[in-house]
Amino acid sequence: MPSDAGILEVLFATVDELNKELPPEQRLTKSEDTIVFGHAGKLDSLGLVNFLVTAEQRLQDRFGVTIALADERAMSQERSPFRTLATMADYVQKLLTEKGEVRSPAVGESSSQAHARESAGI
Amino acid sequence: MSAAGFLLEKFRQFAAEAAIIWRGESCDYGWFLSRFEHWRGFLKNQGIRAGQVVIFEAEFSPNSVALLLALIESACVVVPLTKSVRDKKAEFVEIAKGEIMLAMDETDQISCERLNGTGVHELYDRLREARHPGLVLFSSGSTGKSKAAVHDFAAILEKFKVPRKAYRTIAFLLFDHIGGVNTLFYTLSNAGTLIVCEDRNPDAVLAAIEKFRAELLPTSPTFINLVLLSEAYLRHDLSSLKLVTYGTEAMPENTLKRFHSLFPNIRLAQTYGLSEVGILRAKSKSSDSLWVKIGGEGFDTRIVDGALQIKAKSAMLGYLNAPSPFTEDGWFMTGDSVEVDGEYVKILGRKSELINVGGEKVYPCEIESVIQEFENVAEVSVYGEKNPLVGNIVCARVRLKRDDPSGDFAARLKSFCRSHMQPYKVPVKILLTSESQYSERYKKMRQAQ
Repeated sequence: MPSDAGILEVLFATVDELNKELPPEQRLTKSEDTIVFGHAGKLDSLGLVNFLVTAEQRLQDRFGVTIALADERAMSQERSPFRTLATMADYVQKLLTEKGEVRSPAVGESSSQAHARESAGI
Repeated sequence: MSAAGFLLEKFRQFAAEAAIIWRGESCDYGWFLSRFEHWRGFLKNQGIRAGQVVIFEAEFSPNSVALLLALIESACVVVPLTKSVRDKKAEFVEIAKGEIMLAMDETDQISCERLNGTGVHELYDRLREARHPGLVLFSSGSTGKSKAAVHDFAAILEKFKVPRKAYRTIAFLLFDHIGGVNTLFYTLSNAGTLIVCEDRNPDAVLAAIEKFRAELLPTSPTFINLVLLSEAYLRHDLSSLKLVTYGTEAMPENTLKRFHSLFPNIRLAQTYGLSEVGILRAKSKSSDSLWVKIGGEGFDTRIVDGALQIKAKSAMLGYLNAPSPFTEDGWFMTGDSVEVDGEYVKILGRKSELINVGGEKVYPCEIESVIQEFENVAEVSVYGEKNPLVGNIVCARVRLKRDDPSGDFAARLKSFCRSHMQPYKVPVKILLTSESQYSERYKKMRQAQ
């Protein structure tokens, strides 16, 4: 089962990737408390969509499981799972657990390799 | 006079002129007349009568065209099928309730078979009562089931009675497509020459243009794009080419401009037509403009809710397998979104392909036009994917010219897009593929995988 740390690592990598595309004032910091979306958050709705789609792809690369972060279920949670990177990691953990058998992250696979596969649309 | 009578008269008048070039051989109009008589006799011998529904499996060839004319003259209902729809043949034969199958093979030999179809349909009855030939054309069905449009062939031929300029024309659009039918009858009615290509890839088509000094190429934006991409134009002399017409799908602006800058002496003109109403007369503002005036005699147009509607004399009678798409007062809803500037319109794309991102409209063609300009992009198709946050997101499927070892192609493309379009238009998902993204009719396919 992926650890919280493993998931956070993926989310931080997502932040890195997105920051490259964002103007300086909208960039996110890599911290558990960083607000992803909500009061005082920096992302607009399109920014959030981009964040979630990128994270979905990276999580799939890392854990070999397809999960939908942006779906009706996420929208209908009493508290938004997208408040901070930490709440998001919890939500991801929950989804991965529900998926049952989770493939361990490939040993020795660097994030750049994972990134290359993602860009190749795999 | 019979439906095809005016064509036969033309053939007599121009008996020594080349009518069709097929496999490098030229057949003149005199030969054509004799073949037409031959096929009239054949139909009679086979007991094929007026009003019968004849599935006609063929590609453009001297005999297939002569036989098509004989079928028209015999007032049959013709259902042309080409190998591009081979996967759907059984379905189409059933929908059309075909009674007879005529198949012209690759060596121009005919086979004839009786089918189980009843040929019973209210629309067919209307043709039979008028003793008019019929034509059944299938829509591409890329977004759902193929629909069969029934036409009165006499009404389709009517507009070709007005003499126009004769061209040496490449038969690019297929025999079973409204564009192909239009190419054929435009050429024959003006005693032009139809040049049939063995293959329809860019090099084969451009080689045929060079070899047979073609003047007119009626084609699709996708094909023009492939010509640019393959650089086939560097390998062939296109100096005979005077006019390229494009239609069947929205044209990416950058493709048009690039082609025009390479070939400033070739006139580029947009055509506009649909299986349901036929081909309208169209006049592009200029060779590098997407603004076009459409209409012409026998057609009225109007815009309702940003979409084009057409009232046409040559409109189909109806669909065999779907409810009438006409408004109560007889206007056909094309489903094409347009922008209007005075007398001119600009086709933005199919309403059904429009991507609604949080209430903002995105037309795939516009995004494709930008992405196509990015380095190493061979082909791109843009489509929408449902998303609970913003309704839909824009996705792009890209085929590269060469492998991209850097691994950050998607990121660089996004960054390029951001500097060329509003944020909501920038593709959220970019997928790389090694597969072509056009159909056998050289039309872009935009479905998600």
